[in-house]
Parts: sequence; structure tokens; C-alpha cells
Amino acid sequence: MTDLVERYLATVERRLPETTAKDIVAELREALEATLDAKAAELGRCPSTDEVADVLKAFGAPAVVAAQYEGRMHLIGPVLYPWFWPAQRAAIGITVAIFVVLAAIRSLASDNPIQAVLQSMEKVLGWGLAAFAIVTLVFVLVERTGDPVKLVEKFWDPKSLPREHIRKPKSLFESGIALFFDVLFILFWMRFIPFPNELPLREGASVAITLSPAWGVVYWPILALAVLAAAGHGFDMVRPAWNRVRSAMSIVGYATGLGVLWVIFQGRPFADVQPQPGTSPEDLERALSLVNGVFLVSLGVAALIWAITLGVEVRRQIKATRLSLPETCAPA
Amino acid sequence: MPIAADILEALRLELRRGTLILAVLGTLRAEQYGYSLKTRLAEAGVDIDEGALYPMLRRLETQGLLVSEWREEGKRQKRFYRLSADGARALEQLTAEWRAMNAALNSILPKTNTEGGRP
Repeated sequence: MTDLVERYLATVERRLPETTAKDIVAELREALEATLDAKAAELGRCPSTDEVADVLKAFGAPAVVAAQYEGRMHLIGPVLYPWFWPAQRAAIGITVAIFVVLAAIRSLASDNPIQAVLQSMEKVLGWGLAAFAIVTLVFVLVERTGDPVKLVEKFWDPKSLPREHIRKPKSLFESGIALFFDVLFILFWMRFIPFPNELPLREGASVAITLSPAWGVVYWPILALAVLAAAGHGFDMVRPAWNRVRSAMSIVGYATGLGVLWVIFQGRPFADVQPQPGTSPEDLERALSLVNGVFLVSLGVAALIWAITLGVEVRRQIKATRLSLPETCAPA
Repeated sequence: MPIAADILEALRLELRRGTLILAVLGTLRAEQYGYSLKTRLAEAGVDIDEGALYPMLRRLETQGLLVSEWREEGKRQKRFYRLSADGARALEQLTAEWRAMNAALNSILPKTNTEGGRP
């Protein structure tokens, strides 16, 4: 099977109900294999990428093929439907957000804030329903007047299919959360957000943790890695399926990250502790070994995870290269 | 005024929709897998997109008119379809319906394309 066929099948599969997806895709795979075998026999050689793309184009756009299995008429068809609920969520979300802000302002200015909030709540339901109705109407109008199925069948390009067979596309939520924590870390690392560095040991005794000088050496590489990670997660929000550029970013990131960890390991101890008033030398010794122990385990786990993820990502690159190579076949 | 191409296309698709099911049921009196079925239909002059054929087979199977099984043939796993007992009865009734309709239409429609048109 060629890379294009795998990408096509994975794109169809993601749009099918989970219970029947595997079975349907197995049958589509068989059909495509048979069609491509016949094509190879006709040509006397393996079909080129363009010829495989032509076969897929004749098979139908993934959205349309997947929708045929549902076998019922839609008010909003298969091409527009994937955007219907995200659009509804955005419209209703914005409407509710506006009302929450207005309710907050009104309740602050009112003598009876609870009554003001309740009055706003009554209205928000009506406006939420209106937003739902307007979005539905817009989709129905586009569906009825624009004929999106015909348009997508005409313009879809098999060669631009996402590589969903290499890795499941990341969800917007997953990428958004990752980006949020990246930004949080960057702000912390650049000291825009203060981080509590005092470790309480017992009643009246605590220590202040300071990072070892080795961390200063890798200050800029760590910042650059955090920015790279944030850029990568931002990229995932736009192009959630696996692709070579994003994968290369990850490989560079994990490899550099392992290098940074190696530098930090070389400069052990990871941290130093300063006694606060009331801390005994024994407390200090115990705190030092505890803090460095926590650093050792955390960074060791991070190194292990990054090394495994790096290996997985390199393997995905190799798989993508192997699938992209011209297929060897023996036409009948 | 000439008929708009999209209207004609929609009418043609509507006309074909029912007949395609009859053609598929008729061909599946003998066991076939997807690609061989499509080839048989094409040889008989009935063209159908794979994107429509496979969902139709699945639908007919869900309705109990077809039965299928995965089997290896030519070093490849293939899904073979054939008519079920219910499917055979449905085909019989639909064929009778088709013949009656065909006879009725033959008496209504002009004998040749050039004969049609103006009264």
C-alpha cells in the first residue's frame, strides 16, 4: 500500500463511527488494492503517485465516502458538518461570555446584585438559542445554495491528505493546554512569574533553594527549547495531523533537551540550599539531599521520556519515508 | 429553452438510483467480491462509483438482503457477497415490478429519440 492510500484510508476512518470503522476501512483497502492492481496490470508497471492520486480522486473525497455509510439525508451535509459544532460552540461561547461580562458590570452597578445577575441569566438562554439558530441557518443556506459536496469532489487533492496514519491528529484542547503550560514556563523562566523557592522542613525551620551554576550555562538553551515547544504546540493547533516539519521540530527539541540535561547532570549537585533562621545543620543536610534527590528523579524521568519520544519520532520519519518511496510491484 | 445541465444530471441520478440496487442484487445471484462486482456491472454497461457501491453493499447486508464473508483469495483477504434467501425473494419481486414498469413505460415513451418532443 502506498503512502497516499494509507493517508486516504486514515482520513476516511476518522470520520466513521468507531464500531464499524475498522471493518469498512478493511473493505475499502481491499477495493483500492484491487483497483491499483488492475491499474498496474493495465500500465505494465506500478502506478505513479499521480496515477494513485487519480484512482483516489475517482473513489471520492474522504468526507463524502464516509458520509455515504450513514445512508441518510442531512440538513447539513458531510462536507460542512465537521465545522458545524465548532462554529456552534464558538457562537454560543462568545454570546455567553458577552452576557457574563455585562451581568458582572450590571451587578456591580446595581443595588441588588443577585437580582441583576438573575435577570441577565434569563436573557442569556434566549440569546444562546438565537445564536444556535443563526449559525444553523447560515450552514443550511450554504449547504442548499453552494453544493459543497460537488465543490469538494472537484477541488480536493489526494496529495494534500494529512498523514493521520503516522499519528492520530492532536486535539485542539490538548494542543491548547500544552501551549498554556509552555507560556507559563517561559514566564516563570524569564522571572515574570515569581516561583516560591522556600522549602519548609518543620515548624520554624525552612531552607531557600537556589539552582546550581550549571543551570546558568543552559539558561538560553532552555528558553529557546521552551519557545520551540510553544511554537510547535501552536503549529499543532493549525495543523493537527503528523507532518515532517513538525516532527523535525520535535526531534531537534528532544535531542537538544537531552543535551541540556546532560550538561545539568555534569554540573551536579542540581541545587543548593541556604538555611533560614531556626534551621539546624542536620536540617540543612537533609534538605540538600532531599532537593537533589527530587531533581535527580524528575530529570531522570524527563530524560527517559524524551529519549523514548525521540526514538518514536525518528521511527515515524523513517516510516513516512518508507511509505513515500515508489512501491515495487509485479503487475500481472 | 434548453434544460439546465444540473437539473438534467439530478434527474438522471434519481432515475439511476433505484435501478442500481436492482443491478447489484441481480449480479449477486452469483458470489462476488467488491472489485469483481464493479467489473461485472461495468461489463454489463452499469457504471457505479466505488464510493457509492461499497456503502450500498453494506446497507443491503444490514437490511438482510445480502450475506458476506471475508475469505482469502489470491493471497489477499476479500469480502465476498451473495444474495440471502430474503434477497432472492426481494429480487424476484423487484424484477417483476421492473418488468411491469418497463412495459408500461414502453407504451408511453416514444419509440426513438427523434420521435419524441413535440406532439
